[in-house]
Amino acid sequence: MTHATLDPGAPDLPGAPSRTASRTGTAAGTRARRAARRRAALEWTAVHSLGIAAAAFFVLPFVFVLLTAVMSDQQALTRSLWPHPFVWSNFRTVWDTPGFLTWWRNTLVYSVVGTVLTVVSSLPVAYALAKFRFRGRNTVMVLVISTMMLPPQVVIIPMYLFWAKQLHLDGTLWPLLVPLAFGDAFSIFLLRQFLLTVPREYTEAARVDGCGELRTLLRVVVPMIRPAIAAVALFQFFACWNDYFGPQIYTSSNPAAWTLSYGLESFKGAHHTNWNLTMAATVLVMAPVIMVFFFAQKAFIEGVTLTGVKG
Amino acid sequence: MTAVHPALRARRRRAALRNLAFLSPWIIGFSVFFCYPLLSTVYFSFMHYDGFNAPVWSGGRNWSYVFTEYPLFWPALRNTLWLVVVMVTLRVVFGLGVGLLVTRIRTGAGFFRTAFYLPYLAPPVAATMAFVFLLNPATGPVNHVLGGIGIPGAGWFTDPHWSKPALTVLAVWGIGDLMVIFMAALLDVPREQYEAAELDGAGAVQRFRHITLPNIRPIVMFAVVTGVIQTMQYYTQPLVAGKVASGIIGNSGQQFEPGYPDRSTLTLPQLVYNLGFQRFDYGSACVVALVLFVLAMAFTALLMRRRNGFLSAED
Amino acid sequence: MSRLSKAAALAASAAALALLASACTGQSSPGATDDASKDVTITFWHGWSAPSELKAVNADVARFEKLHPNIHVKVQGNITDDKINQALRAGGPTAPDVVSSFTTDNVGQFCSSGAFADLSPFLAKDRIDPAATFPKPMLEYTQYQGKRCALPLLGDAYGLYYNTKEFAAAGISGPPKTLSEFDADAVKLTRSTAGGYSRLGYMPDFHGYESVPGHLAAQWGVRYFDAAGKSQVAKDPGFAAMFGWQQRLIASLGGFAKLEKYRSGFGDEFGAKNPLQTGQVAMGIDGEWRMGMARAAGMKDLAVAPFPVPDDQASTYGKGYITGTITGIAATSTKKNAAWELVKFMTTDTDAVVSFANAIHNVPSTLAALKSPKLDPDPAFRTFIGIAQNPGSTTTPPSVNGGAYQVTLQDFGYAYESGKAKDLRAGLAGVDQQVDKDIAQAQG
Repeated sequence: MTHATLDPGAPDLPGAPSRTASRTGTAAGTRARRAARRRAALEWTAVHSLGIAAAAFFVLPFVFVLLTAVMSDQQALTRSLWPHPFVWSNFRTVWDTPGFLTWWRNTLVYSVVGTVLTVVSSLPVAYALAKFRFRGRNTVMVLVISTMMLPPQVVIIPMYLFWAKQLHLDGTLWPLLVPLAFGDAFSIFLLRQFLLTVPREYTEAARVDGCGELRTLLRVVVPMIRPAIAAVALFQFFACWNDYFGPQIYTSSNPAAWTLSYGLESFKGAHHTNWNLTMAATVLVMAPVIMVFFFAQKAFIEGVTLTGVKG
Repeated sequence: MTAVHPALRARRRRAALRNLAFLSPWIIGFSVFFCYPLLSTVYFSFMHYDGFNAPVWSGGRNWSYVFTEYPLFWPALRNTLWLVVVMVTLRVVFGLGVGLLVTRIRTGAGFFRTAFYLPYLAPPVAATMAFVFLLNPATGPVNHVLGGIGIPGAGWFTDPHWSKPALTVLAVWGIGDLMVIFMAALLDVPREQYEAAELDGAGAVQRFRHITLPNIRPIVMFAVVTGVIQTMQYYTQPLVAGKVASGIIGNSGQQFEPGYPDRSTLTLPQLVYNLGFQRFDYGSACVVALVLFVLAMAFTALLMRRRNGFLSAED
Repeated sequence: MSRLSKAAALAASAAALALLASACTGQSSPGATDDASKDVTITFWHGWSAPSELKAVNADVARFEKLHPNIHVKVQGNITDDKINQALRAGGPTAPDVVSSFTTDNVGQFCSSGAFADLSPFLAKDRIDPAATFPKPMLEYTQYQGKRCALPLLGDAYGLYYNTKEFAAAGISGPPKTLSEFDADAVKLTRSTAGGYSRLGYMPDFHGYESVPGHLAAQWGVRYFDAAGKSQVAKDPGFAAMFGWQQRLIASLGGFAKLEKYRSGFGDEFGAKNPLQTGQVAMGIDGEWRMGMARAAGMKDLAVAPFPVPDDQASTYGKGYITGTITGIAATSTKKNAAWELVKFMTTDTDAVVSFANAIHNVPSTLAALKSPKLDPDPAFRTFIGIAQNPGSTTTPPSVNGGAYQVTLQDFGYAYESGKAKDLRAGLAGVDQQVDKDIAQAQG
């Protein structure tokens, strides 16, 4: 259980008052115990005050966005911060904006299909890199990491020319989706890290039982690394949902193919820019991501910690 | 010379085929979406190509144009380096700080963790718009509050001296990813070491310096290098911030001024867009792309050399 | 490693060759072969996005479809020039047939690259003489080096907006006609507070939305390029005069830093809180669309007049900066004759131009429409029509690399107004050099 490992309630953390000091039952011990308790209370207050200040920094922007989203146009961008009246219909207005629903659908297609393709294509590669021994394995690994580190802008000109001028798929989601069907470096890397922790005995046993490699992967390994797959899927989902550069390059010439990120920016750009509506749209773009997070929090946090595992 | 047993050879061939089959998605992806476009980028960087007329060999002209004549190149490179130094440092420091904090919170730990983490999930376009709004010098709540306690607020996204710090605030706001990584690393530090140090009378600062830091060094290195790479790709936030803060985005035909205000938010990736998709000078755009490539690979090489967790070699 | 990269290099060079072979698809012969009397669907891209504007465009297209029942038009709005450029380069079945753009900046690019089809054969076929049909500045910005690849589809004119209530309160009887009157009025209308303003007469900073160098320089009747196509902003005295004027005005209104701070509190240019509409500024330079937006936002105190002229050119009062929307036919279109019917209707049919102009309150773009009695009699609208017809009005000329030269000039303007660049002469010479270098690079 990750939750248990991550639970910060464990007592002996850096700086936490140590138990050893209170072992002796003398008067001096009682004094020491009281001092320790006072120190602990002080520390508790300090830590939690700091925590509340930090939480305010992280959460207040969301609050301001939410409040502005339900203000009237007259009130937005003024000094008064509490909505009067609450204009809940702003959400309705944004939702009814021509195109908004289409952008939603496109974003969902990009995110869901993209995620499935990424997982399906990255898993066998990661498996081979973690479990097969072959010459050049480390070279492949180095190349995977290199592509992971590559800014997407480096190859965008030829890629754009390839998709738009040769295949005439400019203004569709295809240029965004197809590359994901051929393994994503980050996902391969992440899955491999996880697969390394699967003991060799399991795969050996399956092999002895006469399972082919593909069956071993699907029947034995996949059930064991479900959390890793969930983490990779979530990462990819968020990456697609938040992507701006890809849709800007490939879908901008066809509003019917825009995604939310790109549409949101143009929403602000259209002649009638109202901050209240822009913020309402912002809320509607953020909401699904945050909802997905709440449902999949565990797998996600596990995935994040995994990226930095073990030196 | 000993002849290889036929059965062994057959088994080897089968294994090789199997490896190839499993690796095939990556092999195709790597050649079609990495090698080919990379070589093609090199090729186009020596061509004059506007997308209509066939590419014409132009030698080193695009290169000399970008380095000596294109007025946006050096400001963009300077900004990118500024962001790499300041933004990455602050993100790591704050990420570690919040990570430390969250490991010591006893009451409501789940709430705090979620609160610290959420901003990381906010879509960049949405988050950037929200920050431009919050930090509007005249009407935003931040300067309003600062004014209330007697601090004159900055110009933030409308002042060339403050626009990069404003972007940094936005980036620090989204440190949820680093917080979780550091949190996990901190919890992995063996307790005995702290206990031993405490018996030796080490204070909190000394314990942090001599035990915590050495233990989490690989993670810090990881955070720094991935931060550098992310910052080199930094595109959406400065672009959206510049466009929204300038307020001049209604007239959809005009070329927007990149890097508002005063080129202060211009980054190298934005130049690829400006040259390639606004001026349609594909050749020069490829030159900038290659500069970006060289920088990214230099940092990656550094990462590989230090071997901090990326290549745990064997299972 | 080496074997892999060799194989990859081989694959890549093969792919690069394939790309090369197909790279020249954009060029097509000007001859159009499609039959415009057959049933056909064409795609029309434009940049309008506000609901009222969309209604007007669609009404215009509907009138066309009624006249040509066999031609069906698929309309796509909210398209920017970057996207037009991109789509025209990509070609293919989704590319548009008829394209319109809000800015004249890219006409040079459209014409010289061959993205837009040459319209001369079509004009000749229908015996339309452009010089007798369209106002001169509009003729100028729709062609490049003699190649007419676009036609004007309504125009924009820039004038002075002023707040009548503030004028009355300050005891100013009417709009200023010369710049020295304007400067005096701007100071008189300004109310300073500790460290700021409660009201500003005029926002002279180049980031003050429409107060960019290109719009203001038109009052000096400047020329950007010489006969050989070289940038000449250092040679034309109008530019130095304009920058000097702006510098003096900034000083007399309280200095750059103070003005910039005030400017950062402005609402969005195209939002309801535009500073002219909130009364934060009493005067401003803006286009004809502002009046409609101001009225929609409940601002009733704005009036318009031509923007003032330099004192030594007082006789030319009435002129202004002119620009407009342009339209053309994609070179990749396979339905050019049908596309031409739409272009011809929208740009030259007097009734169509007049009703479209009335609907979105843009300046009509044909000589006949400008004189039409059916035009909206609203005095503000009429003021702009006067500016558009003034023989002294000028525009920013098309260039091979679009609006890049204006961006360069603006960049210098920002540096000069903020005090970062001190030497005006050297700065303008630098602009010339930069513009020439960029153009040379674009031409290859």
